[in-house]
Amino acid sequence: MRRAILVIGATVVGLVGVLSFHTTPAKLTLGSLSAGTTPRSATTTTPAGASPPTTGPPPPTPTTVPAAQGPTTTSPPTTTAPATTRSATGPSVNYNFGLISVTATVSGSKLTNVSIASLDDGGSPRSQSIDQQSIPILKQQALQAQNANIQGVSGASYTSSGFQQSLQAALSQLGFK
Amino acid sequence: MGTIVTIDVYVDAGKSVDRLAAHVGRARSVLHRADDIFSTWKADSPMSRLRRGEAMLDQMPPEVAGVLDACRAARMLSGGWFDPWALPGGVDPTGYVKGWAAERALGALRMPDVAAAVVNAAGDIASFGGPAPGQPFRFAVVDPFDRTRLACVVEHTGAVATSGTSEQDHHLIDPHSRRAASAVASATVTGPELGLADALATALAIGGPDVLERIDALDGFEALVIGHDGDRRWTCGFPWAPESAPAAVNLFPTPIR
Repeated sequence: MRRAILVIGATVVGLVGVLSFHTTPAKLTLGSLSAGTTPRSATTTTPAGASPPTTGPPPPTPTTVPAAQGPTTTSPPTTTAPATTRSATGPSVNYNFGLISVTATVSGSKLTNVSIASLDDGGSPRSQSIDQQSIPILKQQALQAQNANIQGVSGASYTSSGFQQSLQAALSQLGFK
Repeated sequence: MGTIVTIDVYVDAGKSVDRLAAHVGRARSVLHRADDIFSTWKADSPMSRLRRGEAMLDQMPPEVAGVLDACRAARMLSGGWFDPWALPGGVDPTGYVKGWAAERALGALRMPDVAAAVVNAAGDIASFGGPAPGQPFRFAVVDPFDRTRLACVVEHTGAVATSGTSEQDHHLIDPHSRRAASAVASATVTGPELGLADALATALAIGGPDVLERIDALDGFEALVIGHDGDRRWTCGFPWAPESAPAAVNLFPTPIR
């Protein structure tokens, strides 16, 4: 049976432990239902931990639909990722301590670099200290996790979600699942 | 502070996508409602009023009694290592509510047009379905000593909760001594349902080996602990992904004790 995938990475809410919302605007990342013979596996998602999603063939014609989201540059969807180096920047995503935006660089079907396009953590010492510790780690995790074919990471937390969302949006723009 | 929850929805080719946004919207509503009721940071939330003794249980939304019942069960199953009644400031079911709410949000996505879904509440994961038909999800556990690394990968569709590796100081309070404590560097619990898995992971991070034995005896739940010395212990049925499984010679090492 033929399946293409469609994934919604929607981000939600503050809840729990320590609460108060930073409701990130819902973001629909729609991999269009073109005729891929690909199984669902091409998870265009935003696991909260550390994974630019997975292996498998590139997703069919992704279209990024930033619902209620600010200035995302919707870059041209490509059907097959050519083996060239391309970059895209995800939207600024509200995370626990502020706003973060991530740039992804891919070469062919490989994620080769992840960098912070912008970061506004409000400048408080605590935010800064957490960001300084966690962001290099998140970058490293993202690069590592691409080979692990995983759909989520357990034990990661706050900052990582915003990071992952923005990263995922950037990857979607590149037609990179 | 808040928790960001990500929701991933998987859809089979040819199925309508028209209602997906509505499904996700309902999942969001579930989370918001849970926060409105149970937030201990909102002074006027029902839970906060209950904690201050300004309202009685029968004045609470119906979810509260259910959650407290589940907390009692989790307390019993964990041998008292998870105990919302032993925390400073009055009963605080937060350690259960996060997983419970994520699990309920997942429930809102169980629709005919949704093939699979993952709700990841800041590292505690609820899921159904799989990345492809017949395949379980694969989730990684962060290495508590080097957060740039993954400690292992599990293959498991359902709940995965990890305690003890937060980038925040996790407030793990030993209900017996009422002091901050953690017996191990990281505690991961897999199971069919995230509320209990989350509570058990908290208990396991505080109680260590004693709780591991209790989880081993629970149907459907498995656990892995990584000690402060890096030593790993796990229950017999822990759902290792093939590449993470302990070497054959070690297949049945004293998992617990």
